[in-house]
Amino acid sequence: MKRKNILFIVFAAGMFIINSCENELPRQASFSSYEFTGLDADAGTWKPILLANSTQIDVEVPSDVSSPAYQAELAALKSTASNLSGSQRDAVEYWTNNPIVRWNEIALEIAVKYNLIPGPNPDGTYTLPNPATPEGPPPFPFAHPPYTCRLLAYLSVAQFDGLITAWHYKYVYNRPSPSTVDASIPSAYVKNDLPSYPSDGAVIAAVSKDILTAMFPLEKDYIAKKAEEHLNSLIWAGANVPSDIEAGKFIGSEVTKIALARAAADGMKKAQTPKAQSDSIKSAAFARFGWQWDNLETPVRPVGLVPFFGKVKMWNVPTVEEVRPIAPPAPGTPEFEVNAKELKDYSKNLTENQRKIANWWSDGFNTYTPPGHWNRFAKNFIIQYKFNPIRSARTFAYMNMAIMDAGISCWDAKYYYHYPRPIQTIPGFKTILGTPNFPSYTSGHSTFSAAAASVLSYIFPNETNQCNAWAEEAAMSRVYGGIHYRFDAEVGLDQGKKVAKYTVDKAKLDGAD
Amino acid sequence: MKKYLLSGLSALAFFASFTLAAQTPSDAIMMKKNEACFALIYDHGAWDHYWEGADLRVNGNVGTLTRVTVMPMLAYGITNNLNLLVGTPYVKTHASGGQMAGVHGFQDLSLSLKYRFVNKDFDNGKLEAFVTTAFSTPMTNYLSDYLPFSLGLGTNEFTLRGIIQYKLKNGFYVRAAAAYLWRGQTEVERDYYYNNGSYYTTFMDVPNALNYHGAIGVRLLENNLKLEATYVGLNSTSGDDIRRYNSAQPTNKVEFNQVGFSAQYYFKKPLKGLGLLAYYSQMISGRNMGQFSNIGAGATYQVQLKNKKS
Repeated sequence: MKRKNILFIVFAAGMFIINSCENELPRQASFSSYEFTGLDADAGTWKPILLANSTQIDVEVPSDVSSPAYQAELAALKSTASNLSGSQRDAVEYWTNNPIVRWNEIALEIAVKYNLIPGPNPDGTYTLPNPATPEGPPPFPFAHPPYTCRLLAYLSVAQFDGLITAWHYKYVYNRPSPSTVDASIPSAYVKNDLPSYPSDGAVIAAVSKDILTAMFPLEKDYIAKKAEEHLNSLIWAGANVPSDIEAGKFIGSEVTKIALARAAADGMKKAQTPKAQSDSIKSAAFARFGWQWDNLETPVRPVGLVPFFGKVKMWNVPTVEEVRPIAPPAPGTPEFEVNAKELKDYSKNLTENQRKIANWWSDGFNTYTPPGHWNRFAKNFIIQYKFNPIRSARTFAYMNMAIMDAGISCWDAKYYYHYPRPIQTIPGFKTILGTPNFPSYTSGHSTFSAAAASVLSYIFPNETNQCNAWAEEAAMSRVYGGIHYRFDAEVGLDQGKKVAKYTVDKAKLDGAD
Repeated sequence: MKKYLLSGLSALAFFASFTLAAQTPSDAIMMKKNEACFALIYDHGAWDHYWEGADLRVNGNVGTLTRVTVMPMLAYGITNNLNLLVGTPYVKTHASGGQMAGVHGFQDLSLSLKYRFVNKDFDNGKLEAFVTTAFSTPMTNYLSDYLPFSLGLGTNEFTLRGIIQYKLKNGFYVRAAAAYLWRGQTEVERDYYYNNGSYYTTFMDVPNALNYHGAIGVRLLENNLKLEATYVGLNSTSGDDIRRYNSAQPTNKVEFNQVGFSAQYYFKKPLKGLGLLAYYSQMISGRNMGQFSNIGAGATYQVQLKNKKS
């Protein structure tokens, strides 16, 4: 009896210890509809990125709120919005009045899903993803950092241009929101005076659907389902009548065509070079510098990751050469040896905090990559500072252009210098992070991070110290992880800042400040 | 009386935390009151194939993964029918391929109580039944999210196990055990991970699991030699699969079936109290883990701490 009691107490205590340590596991940013810090009524005058101006896309005059057509839409909306099901209410709550945030999360999640490197075939060869046969195997795309930074740039630039267009027509046509026209219509979101036609939510849904579908063809159905729910939620929330939404969808679809036309011709198609071309890039570097990076995987990957990503069209930097960093120290020189010794020291005596930093920033396969990490920071600031959708889109657009330009510049340096990784130059060297399939100099993490930090510091000046600290930590994380030399990281930070200055200078002139 | 100490640690596996702690609590050996048994086991586990989901594959950048475990253990008879067991393994991992660094250190501390609630003699043998509870918790701040090198799952684990054994007078016996393993969460060093969707947190749910043991054995040479054939199975009750050509993570649904053989010898005077054991085991099927072969050897020393006749 007594012994049974002991066992019971042990059992209860064990269960208590297991259960009391359970933490909530959030799947998305937790926020609700909020009051925007401002509506940016003049945003229709801001300079777009791809469009010549906010009237390039012609949006027709809406029917008047007193017209029978509008009144019929309003009556239908009123009936729907007053009788929502549980799942409709959930959708309204999920999408909020700043759906830019949700589409950014969706984009990152899909990018993570596709961020898996193709493994070897049984005969030791590798098959690369092919956009012509996206099912694979391996499936298209491999959403590595260059792929992800590019998709995020096109997504947010198209969202931004679409919203500038929408804002222009909103204040030209000045159609009030449904709940302004009829005060008895419930409005799920915090009420404001933003005109309702064309629907900004519909612009965001249409752009996001088309860009993401182009980037992730196998996710077509999933993305379409998300977009449909988003568009319906605009009605369920009482935010827009169908004609507001149709006009928004039209803008979205027009601006996406322009964005995807740029994407089709930006050089990305040629970035993953064939082996012969890759070999000649390597031998050119060896002839120039006397060193070359080699892939050390088993079996060896015949081509590094996107050797010609450095030739992709930049957003805001005229030529990639003008931001190319100076050459790294040659292996064997005293300066190199100092850097190599630092790595060996870390590999022997890494502190727990350094290990944690290396892993915190690892952002490798099966993650949203460093560009995604910075999108997450931007998202959190956008919510914290209660940005409206167009300010949010502007933040992502400029940040992601700078990140992509930084990536292009970084890849230019990587394949111009073709510098070997620490595992290649230091005999027997072991690391706690996997060494990526591209040359060492400069560090992608550092370049991406410095560029992102520059744009976020410009948009959120109070966060400058935090952003710079993050960028420096991201840079050093690769040194702690044993996959980059300190000079890769430090020069990469400097390079990222230089690249981002072009974007920040452009942003300062777009009319939003 | 009988001095059957530890049965073979046949299930030392990819995630050694449960198996190491579980093996002794899953056998049918009891210390008498105030008897103590010290054990030191050396285990060498290795695999060159692993299951990615259900697909058995190789990875040239891992080559052969070796996992060496040294396990000190103590069993103590609180009463003839209630035993306390304590153990903590020291683990070292290493890969023959690639450039990833292995790790080493103490894994989890486990504490178990084993209670015998049936001990009934029959004409031709004896029936025994036990219930054990075990609790284990990480001894050090090792990183669970560093598979396949991780020392363990990095989480608290609570086990409830039932064991039944029938022993014939001619020395043969059969034993079966079943357990449920409740696992908590493990804290990792990244605050985003993918588990069929996004998770924005540093915590990962480690799946609970069902664990089965079966054994057929015989005692020979006046009870001084024990030979045993074993089966161990483990099934996670939830979890995701390792993604294509990607690392494993603690959220994975781990399963395996393993067979093994062990031998234990107990010395007579003047070495009375000393025992030696050796074992071999092999995984025959699995999911989301390495196909381990384990070979191990150990020594045990049993001693009466006070009042010999209770």
